[in-house]
Amino acid sequence: MQEFAGFLELTLIKATPLIFAALAGVVCERAGILNISLEGGLTVGAFAAVAVSYLTGSPIAGLAAGVLAGAVLGGLLGFAATRFGVDQIVAGTGLNLLAAGGTAFGIVVLFGTPGASPEVPALGARGEAALIVLALVSAIGLQLGLDYTPWGLRLRACGESPHAVRSAGLDPRRIRLIATLVGGALAGLGGVFLSLGELDIYSDGMTAGRGFIALAAVIFGRWTPLGATGAALAFGALSALQFVLQRAGVPSELMQALPYLAALAALTGIVGKARAPAADGVPY
Amino acid sequence: MSARGAWLFAALLVAAAAAAMALAGANPAAGFFALVRGALGGEHQLSETLVQTTALLFPSLAVALAFRAGLFNIGAEGQLIVGGLFAGVAGAAIAAPAWIAIPLILAAGAAGGGFWGGIAGALRARFGGNEVIATLMLNIVAALVANYLVGGPLHSAAATGAETPELATTSWLPVLLGGTRLTVAFPLALALAAFLRYVLDGTVFGYSLRAAGDAPQAAARAGIDLGRTALVAMTLSGAIAGLGGATLVAGVLHRFNVALSPGYGFIAIAVALVGGLDPLRIVLAAFAFGILQSGSLTMQALAHVPKDTVTFIEGLAIVGLSARHFAGRRREAG
Repeated sequence: MQEFAGFLELTLIKATPLIFAALAGVVCERAGILNISLEGGLTVGAFAAVAVSYLTGSPIAGLAAGVLAGAVLGGLLGFAATRFGVDQIVAGTGLNLLAAGGTAFGIVVLFGTPGASPEVPALGARGEAALIVLALVSAIGLQLGLDYTPWGLRLRACGESPHAVRSAGLDPRRIRLIATLVGGALAGLGGVFLSLGELDIYSDGMTAGRGFIALAAVIFGRWTPLGATGAALAFGALSALQFVLQRAGVPSELMQALPYLAALAALTGIVGKARAPAADGVPY
Repeated sequence: MSARGAWLFAALLVAAAAAAMALAGANPAAGFFALVRGALGGEHQLSETLVQTTALLFPSLAVALAFRAGLFNIGAEGQLIVGGLFAGVAGAAIAAPAWIAIPLILAAGAAGGGFWGGIAGALRARFGGNEVIATLMLNIVAALVANYLVGGPLHSAAATGAETPELATTSWLPVLLGGTRLTVAFPLALALAAFLRYVLDGTVFGYSLRAAGDAPQAAARAGIDLGRTALVAMTLSGAIAGLGGATLVAGVLHRFNVALSPGYGFIAIAVALVGGLDPLRIVLAAFAFGILQSGSLTMQALAHVPKDTVTFIEGLAIVGLSARHFAGRRREAG
């Protein structure tokens, strides 16, 4: 029983950054922005949180900085996509490189040595638990918001047919920009959880592809907040199980590959046709 | 982008780099000087720059081919790794004269990369699956598969790192200049660029690829099978990236190592865009990025500018260039 409780706890810890990033993906994609820089959002969020906590001694200020950094990165994509009509895929790839290079650069400049930060004041066990609850509450809130509020309707309409939104007298570019800001902030929060919630340091590559697992969770969850959260929880359970199964002789790489293989399977439609929003990734 | 816009953009990138260097407490002039010296300051430096140019050229041509066909191959990195892995396995197994071993190793690399790219192509062709997502996922699966195989079943007992056994010296790509790592891979990449230029611009096959990319609906009405085109383009694109991985294995490392690529497949996207998706201009772009890659370590050592500045600037370049070729052209993904 105690072992099971431990497994549940580990599942929630492993799933929380995925949930935040997957929710970010849902918000962006439902608005028509295919955001493949969720990985970058996690990275800058995790880094900014540690940097500001290091400089101010306040993990709460670090949290705010992480959210802000994620929003800025998301906003860059939104701004480029809505004002300059850039290709979102290419821009997203660039933002991922920008985030990786910028944070590696930042570590050297700020801490003097490459690779990792020293230990900084972190959010602690209660802060970690609060973020886990926040992730689950956000998922429910976003599901209700998307389904039942005028804002949700407008956002979804932008993802299906921005021209119809325009005809209704609204500005789809503005709605998409806001979606990327909100999405970026959520991804940043996921990064904060990684660096200041679960741990108390930032190290290069600590996001370890979670932004891409989140993209897989979005597809597997069929572009709904609760669906994506369910998928993120399943992927979290997989990584919680990894330690157990590894001892049983299952290669850890196979376990790590499962979320990605699941996403590839979802693309084939074997598990029921997963349909992206009609205008997902289409410039407006 | 107009010529004036291009210069303005380049000036902006240089200014951003200078600002980053100043932020790191270095003198930007010294930083740029060290970068250029590290890349072009002598025979050894220049040869290393051409090694980097070659490593970038293969995946860049791969990306360009797919982009011209309207397919966003974000997976050149994974295709390069799988190609390298196939080449490493084939190379370790083959004991034959160079004229048999080397073509076999390169073919194995192309086959591996083609297989990996073909998966994404098949998903697109058969199920309408988004190739962006597929290639992103396949990148990570490739790294995991390589990690697993090299760390376990294929691990070399003699090696300290995660790598396959060393290739027999007869299987190494011939070096062009004694004492350097510059091999025949470089002219091979140049020849491939020229060949691709001819194929894309001068053949019916190239025309059908470009038609599928530029105007898919019109192409479909004209009898071009879009699904088949996607499969063929992704397979060829993957094969080119995989060939690049094989040249790194047979020419530079002489074995497959999981750290084969420091992200060549991603930087390739910037290279392909800077080169305007034109194979010949991509050669020049690859040289420019090769300078950045090979000079960045000297910059770090001499001017104390973190080498990651280069990654940052490359990311900035991709974001800036994402506006150039695709505005309004992305077809609705399924």
